[in-house]
Amino acid sequence: MNNMWGSMAQYNEIYWPWPIAVYLFLAGLSAGAMIVALFLRWKGIELDKISSSSKFDGCFKAAAIIAPITICVGLALLVLDLGKPLSFYWILIKYNFASVMSIGVALLLLYTPLAFIYLLVAFAPQIKASNISILESLSNLVLKSGLVKLMEILLFVLAIGVGVYTGFLLSAISKLPLWDTPVLPILFLVSGFSSGIAASVICGMVFFKDNIDQHVVAGLLKFDLFAIVCEIALLGALFALMFSKGGSSEVVAVQALGSGALAGIFWFGVVGMGLVLPIVIDLTVLKGHAYKPTAILLNTLLVICGVILLRYYIVYAGQIFTGA
Amino acid sequence: MKKYFMIHDENLCIGCQGCSVACRSENNVPSGVYRLQVHAKMTGTFPNLKMDFLRHSCVMCEDSPCVTVCPTGASFKTAEGITLLDHRTCVSCKYCILACPYDARFVEPQTGEIGKCTFCYETRLSKGEQPACVTVCPTDALTFGDLNDENSEVSKIMKEKKVYLPKEEFKTRPQLGMIANRKGGNNE
Ligand code: SF4
Ligand code: SF4
Ligand code: SF4
Repeated sequence: MNNMWGSMAQYNEIYWPWPIAVYLFLAGLSAGAMIVALFLRWKGIELDKISSSSKFDGCFKAAAIIAPITICVGLALLVLDLGKPLSFYWILIKYNFASVMSIGVALLLLYTPLAFIYLLVAFAPQIKASNISILESLSNLVLKSGLVKLMEILLFVLAIGVGVYTGFLLSAISKLPLWDTPVLPILFLVSGFSSGIAASVICGMVFFKDNIDQHVVAGLLKFDLFAIVCEIALLGALFALMFSKGGSSEVVAVQALGSGALAGIFWFGVVGMGLVLPIVIDLTVLKGHAYKPTAILLNTLLVICGVILLRYYIVYAGQIFTGA
Repeated sequence: MKKYFMIHDENLCIGCQGCSVACRSENNVPSGVYRLQVHAKMTGTFPNLKMDFLRHSCVMCEDSPCVTVCPTGASFKTAEGITLLDHRTCVSCKYCILACPYDARFVEPQTGEIGKCTFCYETRLSKGEQPACVTVCPTDALTFGDLNDENSEVSKIMKEKKVYLPKEEFKTRPQLGMIANRKGGNNE
């Protein structure tokens, strides 16, 4: 089609550029880390026995602190990417619950402050030892009142919500075949979980080295391996669905898997570096859950890069390949 | 209640872009972006070529994806079926641009505001006048009016001619219909 007169630029623009991809990554990472923190707490920490000398696992502390920080950075990126960043408060005041974005805002409005409050639990021993009386009494309040259990269940549900909503955000756009698929929400949840595990392991090993429990790391890596295998299956399902739909979906699937730099990012970055290589490392160097810090760091870094590239790929390929 | 409807007769359209120019000056559309363009589509093989002129603008979907996805409700439908935008509450998240199957929306380069065709609601419709593009078209390819009024021009055309709705597969029920071009080399 030709416009004869004027410009076609506005029809080919990328309206959601890289900050959105990074936001989607960070939101998934936050949700994943929160789920990791909750699992580790439920498995290994008895709330009524916490004292100033309690030693919490390094991965648990890392996960608990990653969750609120990453979501905040992500939200900052999101606001800065608005065409009218200074008007962002309207999105907090007016809601349209038919819009996935509004549902996401509502979720995050609960999730983000709770994720910060949860630091009072995760760092309770340090707070007790620090003698800062306000924090201490707040931390005691949360721990003793029985609120913790309720808060944890709520956080768990919200974290899953945050993890899947980013997928629904894209899949609501029915004109873009790569986004218009029911697989995306699950894929984003699982890959977010995978990146959450990886980040918790890395940050635990780097920042809370003395409190690292090797069994916990081994357990987490096992979970991650499982998540990665699920991701491969989900990616397969996503493209299989697109091919079976035919028409423009099929055209887009062919383009997205076969043409240009984006296909390269998919095959080498997402699949090769982010999924296959970690599996290979897991089954060779780290076989039998050996505790080899360098290999573990490499493995988890690869996983995280893969998840970032997955978001980048989906966001860009979805907008570029329209099948039109 | 009125139900506004526009019809673009592709047989009459000569692709002069008069409508597009009128739209720009009526609505102060910033340079580089368009609320309305008429695209030329060439089909066939030489010498049997056929040229179609297709209007590209908001089609005022009754079920508008842009309204559904808008988080603040800044995108909304009026009672007469026109899709409008409240610039005060729009945060320019661009979700509506992505959702619109007709690529009818854009970001205004200087202000970051979202732009689209409004059927000239603010400047003309509210005063009982026809949209700028309709009044200016030299061949009367554009017709605009109230579909609920049996005597209106659009109602008559709807009864007499075969009007198609663009991209029907999206089930958005446009209020801008087209009459397909039958002219051109292929049919002569
Ligand atoms: S054409 Fe696009 S902008 Fe216009 S009402 Fe439909 S979805 Fe909204
Ligand atoms: S850019 Fe404005 S009108 Fe469009 S969806 Fe966002 S808030 Fe709504
Ligand atoms: S002004 Fe009329 S004839 Fe000219 S391009 Fe527009 S619709 Fe077609």
